[in-house]
Amino acid sequence: MPNPGPVSSAPADRDLIAQAAGGDERAIGQLYDRYATVLYTVAYRISGQRADAEEVVIESFAQAWRDAARFEPGRGSVAGWLTMIARSRALDLVRARSRRERITQTAAADLLDAPLAMGTWRGDPADALDRTERRRQVRAALDDLSPPQRQAIELAFFEGLSQSEIAARLNEPLGTVKTRVRLGMQKLRSALRPFFFEQGP
Amino acid sequence: MSTPDESSVRDLAAAYALGALSPEETRAFETYLATSPEARQEVAELRETAALLALSAPNAEPAPGLRARVLEAVSQSKLRPLSPSPTAPPPPVGATRRASPILWAALAASLLAAVGLGLRAGRLADELARRRADLAERDSTIAEQARTLAAQGQRLATTDSTLASLLSPGVQLVQLTANGDPDPQIQLFWDRRHNTAVLHASKLRPVPAGRTYQLWFIKDGKPVPSVTFDVAPAGEALVPQVTVPSEGAISAAAVTEEPAGGSPQPTTPVLLVGTLARS
Repeated sequence: MPNPGPVSSAPADRDLIAQAAGGDERAIGQLYDRYATVLYTVAYRISGQRADAEEVVIESFAQAWRDAARFEPGRGSVAGWLTMIARSRALDLVRARSRRERITQTAAADLLDAPLAMGTWRGDPADALDRTERRRQVRAALDDLSPPQRQAIELAFFEGLSQSEIAARLNEPLGTVKTRVRLGMQKLRSALRPFFFEQGP
Repeated sequence: MSTPDESSVRDLAAAYALGALSPEETRAFETYLATSPEARQEVAELRETAALLALSAPNAEPAPGLRARVLEAVSQSKLRPLSPSPTAPPPPVGATRRASPILWAALAASLLAAVGLGLRAGRLADELARRRADLAERDSTIAEQARTLAAQGQRLATTDSTLASLLSPGVQLVQLTANGDPDPQIQLFWDRRHNTAVLHASKLRPVPAGRTYQLWFIKDGKPVPSVTFDVAPAGEALVPQVTVPSEGAISAAAVTEEPAGGSPQPTTPVLLVGTLARS
């Protein structure tokens, strides 16, 4: 089963998860080198704060480590699994924060966070190339959607809104929002299938 | 809510992959998912698609130190069972006595579990600050209650001594009344052995601002100034400690209205009066 990303000698993501499930911490280090940027990017996009994004990345890999034995290959790629863990942890964190109405403090923290961390990339250069190409494809596919389709999907993914909440936010009928989400996601799937983190079995 | 038919349930796959279904829809869809391998395959693909959306966000690189923190977290959580087991192994005998590394590691692991619950240090600090503010508020409430309690204690002590005065042997009751008006009354509990009295007033008309009531003893036919007192809106007053002149012939007690602070001589007509008889 080919893993299209890394160079051919590198272990597949699934092998790394199996090693992690067997108690090998180095496997998590390798997964970090491959996907930390993706996890950090989505966590930062959702939380808007560097410290929160870092916490999310730590928690996500810790969860992956604990849950490695329960990973189900049939449900998708390791990278997709890790990304969705980070996304939902970041959303949880933002929800907890807004529940406590720390709006002023958030604004203050944002000022402190203003310069983005630009760390040195220590992963495999082949990974970086692969990621750049994939990123370009994802953005192109999103650009191909109608703006309302793209908006509905982005509100669901980055803000964790349900379809009803999106409809309320946009003041649109629920049915309209559902159609946008469904057709938009189908179109994205067709465009991005060749660029999935891992190809299906 | 009616059960959605299969085609409409199938339409939920994209929103399910995005986590955008209502709880009811999620349950309905997962029921359907359990019965359909095709649907599971579709959801897997849509979930892959959704995960790729992460790459549309502006690229942000984690700080270089984050890798070490991740590995540290993983290393610490190694102490936790990898797969859920019903019972954790008991700590080695004697481990606690030596404050062993295992104990510290377990402590670190439990701290890490706190991290796992999503409480990062900053939020803990927020929480702490909030609790401290709460505590300070409670402290000031308690201090205020303590002051109230001290004041009440003081009042109770006064009441006790007042009661003691009233109950001591040889106390004589003197009634002061107004001429032609049955309502205002003053009772003077006169302790002749100690030359003290307790004054209790009822149904006295409140005086205007800058004015006060004043008690006088008539000694040798002349008024001797005593305490001034004000009445509550209901017309009540209690003066627990009134000194009665010890020498000379006291024939009566009287009350007038005077400027605040009292006067050396009455400046207005007597409002209430009562006779005292030293026997």
